[in-house]
Formats: sequence, structure tokens, C-alpha cells
Amino acid sequence: MKKLYLVLAALIIASMVLSACGTAPSAEDCASPDVFCVGLVTDVGKINDKSFNQSAWEGVQKAQTDGVADVVQYIETTDAKDYAKNIAQFGDAGYDAIVTVGFALGEATVAAAATYPDIHFIGVDQFQAETTEGVSGLNFPEDNAGFLVGALAAMMSESHKIGAVCGTDVVPPVWRFGEGYKAGAAYADAQNGTTTEVFVVYHSDVGFDKTFTDPEWGAQTAKSMMDQGADAIFGCGGITGNGAITAAAQAGAYAIGVDTDQYLTLPEAAPRMLSSAMKLITPGVAKLIAAVKDGTIESGNVFGDAGYAPFHDLEASVPAEVKTAMETINTGLLDGSIKTDVPPVKP
Amino acid sequence: MDWKRFSFIALVIIVLFGAVVMVGQSQQRPILIITSMLATTIAVATPLTLGALSGVFCERSGVVNIGIEGMMLSAAFFGWLAAIYMFHVFGFPIGISITVGALFAVITGGLMGLLLAVLSITFNVDQIIGGTVINILAVGLTGFLNRQLFFGKGSVFGGQVPNSPGVLPTIHIPIREIFAPLCSDSIICIENIRAINRVFDQKPIAMGAVLLVFIAHFILFKTRWGLRTRSVGEHPKAADTVGINVFKMRYANVIIGGCLAGLAGAYFTIESVPSFEPLLTNGRGFISLAAMIFGNWTPIGAWAAALVFGASQALQINMQLFRESIPPQWAFLQQSYVVGLAPYILTMLILTGIIGKTTPPAADGVPYEK
Amino acid sequence: MQAEKQSSSLARQILKSATESSLIPFLAILTAVIVGGIIISIVGGNPFQAYRGLIEGSLGSQKALSETAVWATPYIFAGLAVALAFKGGLFNIGAEGQLALGAVFSSLIGYALPGWLGFDLPTIIHLPLAIIVGMIAGGIWAGVVGALKAYTGGHEVINTIMMNYIALNTTSFLLNGIMKDKSPTNVIARTPMIADSARIPTIFEGLRVHWGFLLALLVAFFIWWLLTKTTLGFEIRTVGLNPDAAKYAGINVKRTITLTMVFSGMLAGLAGAIEVTGLNFRHELGFSIGYGFDAIAIALLGKSHPLGVVLAAILFAAMRNGATRMQFITQLPVDLISMLQAFILLFVAADAIVRYIYRVKSKGERVVLTRGWGG
Repeated sequence: MKKLYLVLAALIIASMVLSACGTAPSAEDCASPDVFCVGLVTDVGKINDKSFNQSAWEGVQKAQTDGVADVVQYIETTDAKDYAKNIAQFGDAGYDAIVTVGFALGEATVAAAATYPDIHFIGVDQFQAETTEGVSGLNFPEDNAGFLVGALAAMMSESHKIGAVCGTDVVPPVWRFGEGYKAGAAYADAQNGTTTEVFVVYHSDVGFDKTFTDPEWGAQTAKSMMDQGADAIFGCGGITGNGAITAAAQAGAYAIGVDTDQYLTLPEAAPRMLSSAMKLITPGVAKLIAAVKDGTIESGNVFGDAGYAPFHDLEASVPAEVKTAMETINTGLLDGSIKTDVPPVKP
Repeated sequence: MDWKRFSFIALVIIVLFGAVVMVGQSQQRPILIITSMLATTIAVATPLTLGALSGVFCERSGVVNIGIEGMMLSAAFFGWLAAIYMFHVFGFPIGISITVGALFAVITGGLMGLLLAVLSITFNVDQIIGGTVINILAVGLTGFLNRQLFFGKGSVFGGQVPNSPGVLPTIHIPIREIFAPLCSDSIICIENIRAINRVFDQKPIAMGAVLLVFIAHFILFKTRWGLRTRSVGEHPKAADTVGINVFKMRYANVIIGGCLAGLAGAYFTIESVPSFEPLLTNGRGFISLAAMIFGNWTPIGAWAAALVFGASQALQINMQLFRESIPPQWAFLQQSYVVGLAPYILTMLILTGIIGKTTPPAADGVPYEK
Repeated sequence: MQAEKQSSSLARQILKSATESSLIPFLAILTAVIVGGIIISIVGGNPFQAYRGLIEGSLGSQKALSETAVWATPYIFAGLAVALAFKGGLFNIGAEGQLALGAVFSSLIGYALPGWLGFDLPTIIHLPLAIIVGMIAGGIWAGVVGALKAYTGGHEVINTIMMNYIALNTTSFLLNGIMKDKSPTNVIARTPMIADSARIPTIFEGLRVHWGFLLALLVAFFIWWLLTKTTLGFEIRTVGLNPDAAKYAGINVKRTITLTMVFSGMLAGLAGAIEVTGLNFRHELGFSIGYGFDAIAIALLGKSHPLGVVLAAILFAAMRNGATRMQFITQLPVDLISMLQAFILLFVAADAIVRYIYRVKSKGERVVLTRGWGG
């Protein structure tokens, strides 16, 4: 028994001494006006999701390497009820700009803007129905990006069957990608007099935490589509989509990525990566952070860019007329002469 | 496994397939739908089968294993990690890296099995607690390491997740080559044979899982080892008196079980998709557990049950593919959450005793003390 | 003089027994913290900053304490749900689904009832009604499993897992369909906000901790009373320990199994209902991720004793809550918390390891919590 007390006492003293030695974080004083601090709060998800949380964080980091931000930190949300608390961590520390990622944080962001009037908030994928002072919602025309790759897939498909494997359609950007894809294929059909069968499957039957993180389901769904004859697969839904893209590439079908140029982020699918439906989160976030520092930022909705990625390895197999058609569609979408007719939200 | 149970399972699978064929036949030839669904069913059932076999070995020897999920998850992670290290750090060729990865997954599973054995057999920890510890530990450990090794400043790979060397290749069974000449130029016939061939062209772990079902059946019911395992699980006192080392038998079987769960983990990152994501097993370990009980603690029964789950996933995927052909009065079936309910409700219905009661090994979950 | 001596020795005895029963958990937590610290250092983090962040974030301020209580509330209810089932010899893996259904139905009453009736209800009626309906929903959901177990032998582990998936799908279906907030600004699968009359007030102005936390403590006390002081509690425990003996003793085993599951589900449903009425004021898809599984660990850590469950729930809540601050300071991944929790559970469960490390003698008693699949 004596020995026990000795061990205990030694442990307790050791831990106290050591914790006293533990230096305080060398975080610079964010409350001071000279130090420009940017914080990022993720949606229920990880910072290294190879998808929108990560892209947004890379935007914040870009702001740091560009010399705009002095201190950058992130907090990952593990439960929806922590949104406000996590934002407050940055708010109370006197950060200058806070990026909140995902539509689900929309309300918490608007509420925080009232609590912290000196801080500017950037809400990624947060459509602002009405303008709140101090909040800029960064949105992307995902339906345009989906439309572009849908048209491309329809023009490139030899079996005239194409597929898309997506996360849950409850998330509006995902739904816009999927519906844009269908609309794009229909447009290409109308132009070329073809009939393309489009399979779009949303992974909606699981919990919200799993719909974007199930690569195995994505791969199996893509395989089923290819069994039915599809020869181009669009993966739109984080890691679930990545599973579909990889499976398509392995089977020799055309793989189409999402969000960023996935030729670069999914090397295992690169040889068969036809293109990607891009929404440029990283530059969009970095640009808005710079605007916050300049004081040129405007509250309300800000629209980022969407487009399609280069063909990379498949450059040679894409016919010139398809390339021209893609340019025409892209221009048409940008000047409004072509419309996707996809509403912002699933009706 | 009795015939009643088998015929029920067969009936369920036929109904699931039939539903899709009914809906999809306007868009696709039935045979192509069926072969596609069969291929999906077998692939999806692979980790479930292996997980359930893991449970069968552990529980036949008297140790409840609810840690299958955690064993799979950690094996998936460490197998993938080993493959990456072999390929990128040590510079081995792709084939060797992947094989070593698969081996590491099995070893990780075995080590997790050893942990469960140490806890539940040596330390007499409540077996359900032991399994829960493994489940929570696996989530924390893989999530933490996945982040710390690959993300952020100072991580081993400098913030970039290196691409995995790849996945195991599909093994081609030459059905097409043998039977195609019989078709004599009929294109439909050749297409059908191609489609049937696709069902048999599976990857090594998927094929191995089916083999292991029968090997496990043979070991458990036709060998001395199996007899001893079962006696230890049914009546450890009696086994002890006839000179069987209860502790040793339990240790060995739980470690075998761990290795099987490890192979199931390898399926995710070494065979199906060459990447690891936190929580990628998504509850499949618990479904395996259900399959094991459903199959009444027998390898073949567990396999049949795993196939039911596989078939229902195939149904869910294919129903969505043919969503547009669903007649309007059944429109609610277009919503994937409604179709997604089918397997779970079916399982419950089957369990209510239409096919008889399940009986676990008598000493399952009971620690043995001399 | 004599009396004084006696009373002091009595006090010492009480102190001694209290230290002894909390010694092992304390040492287990300490060991887990040390092992966790070593792992943090290996991967290049600073364990002292990490732990400082955890403590600051969970106990360091009024707000931190309040948030810990907010996290603890559903943990206590859900932990009790699993613990009660354990006492009855049942393993309820399905607290997650029961909780979700409790939340769904509680919010339905919360936002829709005034509209159905055509007039506003006073809080005194509306709030309890919302809570009770949520509780009943959870109870029925689990009761189905209990009845299947009692009358058909369908195993509760599989059935609760299956019912989890069914509950999640049903919730998605409802929240995307008829229960979705129809306001044009909403794009999320969630219900409208519940009426003010169905909300639990906060205890302190400006902090989120609400009276639901105290209710949780009261319910824990009630469960203790139910289990130890009532006939029903005795029956539940007897069936849990030995159903055959219970049958010979004249206990209606089937009824008791069903009732145990119903109560267990009601507790889980309460967890959901209180989260809706006390904190979120609506139900949203994606809320309640993993509570059901954390609840299993909490029940095990608390050795299925209501007081133990409360303490374990507060510990887990403090860790989950402090994780934010920890990450803010150190940028370490929050998965660290799951790892620490696993180690704590491991060392508490395998107390032989802890006893060996610190040379604490065993008293030779062992608590059996679960009984495999039998029965």
C-alpha cells in the first residue's frame, strides 16, 4: 500500500511539474489590429476530407502563404450542436475573419455575425436569402459544372449510357451537380440527335455522416452501372464519389471527378480521368479573405467560379468537335444563353 | 443449418432479384440484370461473410466477439498503411506492396483478436466490454493516425496522402473462352455468356471468402480441432476434464477469428478501393454479427445470410438505376430511403421465428475459471 | 472520548471504502491519460498543451462548465438506457435509433400541435407533452424488440441494429418529406422550430445549460430507486441474472423482458426529446451521430450503476466538450478523444492490468454485466 502511495505521489507531482512547464501556445495576439487572424470551422466532417472542407482550408492556407493572413487555425465540428461554440472559440480570441464551411452552418454563422460585429464571416456553400451585415456567402453554380461534364460524358460515350454516383440529394450543391449532369446530357443529345441513358444514384439511405464517406458503396454502384453498359461515370459526393471514380477508372470507363481537378487528387484514377466538374473553392476563399483585409468585402452572396477540368492524359482521345462544343457550352453558360433549368434547391 | 432456413433465404433472394427484374425489364434484358446483381451481391457479401466467419470461430469457442467492426477498421487502415510504406518508402514493386498490405491487414486483425483474447480469457474482462473497447479504440486510433501521419505540418508524407499502390486484380475464369464457341455467331448468346462470366470473375479475397466458408465448415464439423473448439464453447468443464486445454483453444480460435476479420478489412482498402477513409467500414461489422446469428453460428448459414444482405444492397442500387421505370402508383419506391429499408425489415421478419430459433453455443460469453 | 474515537474511525472507514471503490477508476483514468500522452508525444504533439486545452475547454469557465453539462445531458439518459437493459440481461445497441425517433416525435408535437388544435398551449401542458411523446416513441421502438425477444426469441442485438437502420431511414424520409421545414430559405432536412411553449428554459441567463440536465440527474436517481427498491426492479435484475430461476420464482419473464426494453427505449427517447426541447428546438438530420454507441461505453464505464453512469457521462461529456479547445490550441485531431476514451474503458474494464501496475490487491469480487447471447 505504501508503495502505491509513493507511485501515486510521484505521478501527480510529475504531471503537475510537467504541465507547468508546458509552454503556453505561441499564438500571436489576434485581438491586436496588426495581426490578421483567420479561423475555419468545418461542417460535421474532417479537415482532410479531400473535398470541400479541405479545399476551403487550403484557401485559408493560401491566404497565409500569400502574406494576407498572419495566423490561421481550424476547428473540426464533431456534432451539430457545437457550431456556435466552435465559432465562438475564434470570436472570443479576436479573430478577424472566420470561414464556416457547409450549408448547415448557415444559421449559426448569421447568429454569430450579430454577436461579433467586428469580425467578417465567409460562409462557403451558404446561400444568403437576405443580406446579413458581416456575412458573405460563397456560392457556386454547381449545376453549370454538372451540365458541362454531363454534356461531355454524353458526347464521349460509345454505349450512350452514362452514370453519376452522388452523395445525398439532401445537400443542395450535390443535387445541383446531379441534376446539372442530367440536363447537360439531354442538351448534348438534343444537339447531336443522340439518345443517352443517364443513371444518377444518390446515396441517401444512410446517416448524414456516412453518405459522403462510403467509397465501397460508391465503387459497387459504379460497377452496377457499368454492368448495365455505362461507360462514363461521374463521382459527385466526396469520398463516396471517389470510390466510384476509382472503380470506373479501373474498369476502363471514363471517370469524371468533382469539386477540384481530381486528376491531381486521385492519382489512382488519373489515366482514365476525362475531366472534373470544378467549383473553385480554394481560390474563392483566398480571394474573399484578401477582400476582408482590404476592406473591399461585400456582405450577401458572392459567386465563385465553376467549370470543367482539362482532359490531361485523354487529351488525344477527345475529338476536336467535342472540344469545340464544350467551349461553346461553357461560353453559353457563362453569358446565360444556355440555361441548366436546375432550381437552386430540390423542389 | 436446416433446409427450412435455406429455402427461406433462397426465397428472399429470389424475391429481391425478381423485384428488380420486374422493374428493370423494360430497360434491360433480365439475364443482364440478374448477372449484374449477382456480381454485386457476391462482392458486397465478401466482408460480411468474412466478418461473420470471424464471429463463428470466436463464439464457437465461447468468446462473444462484438469487436468485428473495430477489427475490420483497424485492419483496413494498417493494411493500407503497410502497402503505402512498402511502395513509397521502401520502394517495392506494386504487386509485392499490395500483397504485403493484405498480409498486414490479416496480422492486424490477428493482433486485435489477441487483444480480445487477453482481455476476455486472461483478464476475465466482460467479453462485450472487450469488444466495445476494440471498437472505440479502432475508431480513435485509425482516425488519429490517419490524420497525424498524412495531414498538416510535420506529418510523415508532408501533408499529401500518397496514392496507394493499387488494388488486387480480378481473376478471370475462362467461361467465355470455353462456352462462346457453342453460341455459333448468335450475338445475344455471346453477350449472355459474357454476362455470366462477369459473375465468376471476382477478386482474390471475394473468391477466398467463399472457399473459407467451406474450409471453416470442414474444420468446425469434420476435424478434431473443430470438435474440441465446439466442446470448449458448449461445455468447457467437460472439455477440461477430458484433457482439452480450454484457454489454449479459446486463444487460438479468437486469434483465427481476428485474422478473418482482418481479411475482411483488407477487402476494403486492398481489394475494393485503394484508399482509406475514417469509419469506412460503416457498421458492416455489426451486420456481420447479425449474419452470424442469422446463420445460427454455422459458416454456411452465415454465408447465406451475408448473401441476403448483399442481395438487398444490390436491390437498392439497381432500383435506383431503374428509378424511371417504377410505375407511378409505386412512386414512393423511387426514394432510396424506402427501398433501403427492405433488408432490415426482412431480417427482422426472418428472425421472428418463421425459420426457427437460433441457438448460440451454450458457454458463449461465459468466462471459464478453473 | 470513546464515542469520538468511534465516530472518527467510522468516518475513516467510510472514507476508506469511498477511496477504495473510486481508486481503480481513478488509476485507470490516470493510466489512460499517461498512455494517451505518450502517443501524442510520439506523433509530435505536446500532451501538456493538449490536456490543458481539454481541461480549459471543459471546466475552465462558466461557459465551459455549462457546455459540459449540455453534452452530459443526452449522455446520461442514453447511458442509463443501455445500463438498464444490461441489468435486465439485454444488450440495447439501438439507443441511437430510439433517440432519433424520440427527437423526431418530440419535435413534431413541439411545432405542429398548436396548428392542429388551432390554439396555443401553455408551457405547462405543451412541454411535458412533447417530452412524453418523444419518450413513448423511443419506448415503443425498443418495446418491439423486447416483445420479439420475449415471444419469438428474435435476438435483441440483431433486432436493435436493424431497428437502428430502419429508424435512420424513417427519419430521413420524414425530414425530407412531410416534416421538412417548408420555409423558402431552408434547404436542410430538418423540422420547423418548435413553439416557445415547448421549450425547456435555461437555468442561467446567457448559458445554454437547461433544466433538462437536472431532470437527467433526477431520472438517474429514479432508476436507482426503481432497480433497488421496487418489485419491478427486483424482477428486472432477477431476469437479468438468471431467467430460469426467475421463471421458477414465479416472475413473468416475457413481460419483464418486454418492459425492460420499453423502459430502456423510453430513456433513449427521452435523450432525444430533451435535446430537441432543451437545446436544438428542432430535429435535424445528422444530429445525434454516435450517441448510441458512446452510451454503451458510458454504461460499461459506470458498471451499469446509475450513479456510475452519471459520473461516466460527465467524464465523456467533458472530454467531448473540451476537444474543441484542445484542437484550437494544439490543432491535434479530435479523434484523440475517442482513443483516450477507449483506453479509459480498457483500463477500467481490465482492472487486473491496473491492479498489476499499481500493486493494488484485488478484493476478489467481480461484477458481471452481460451474459453473452443466452436466454
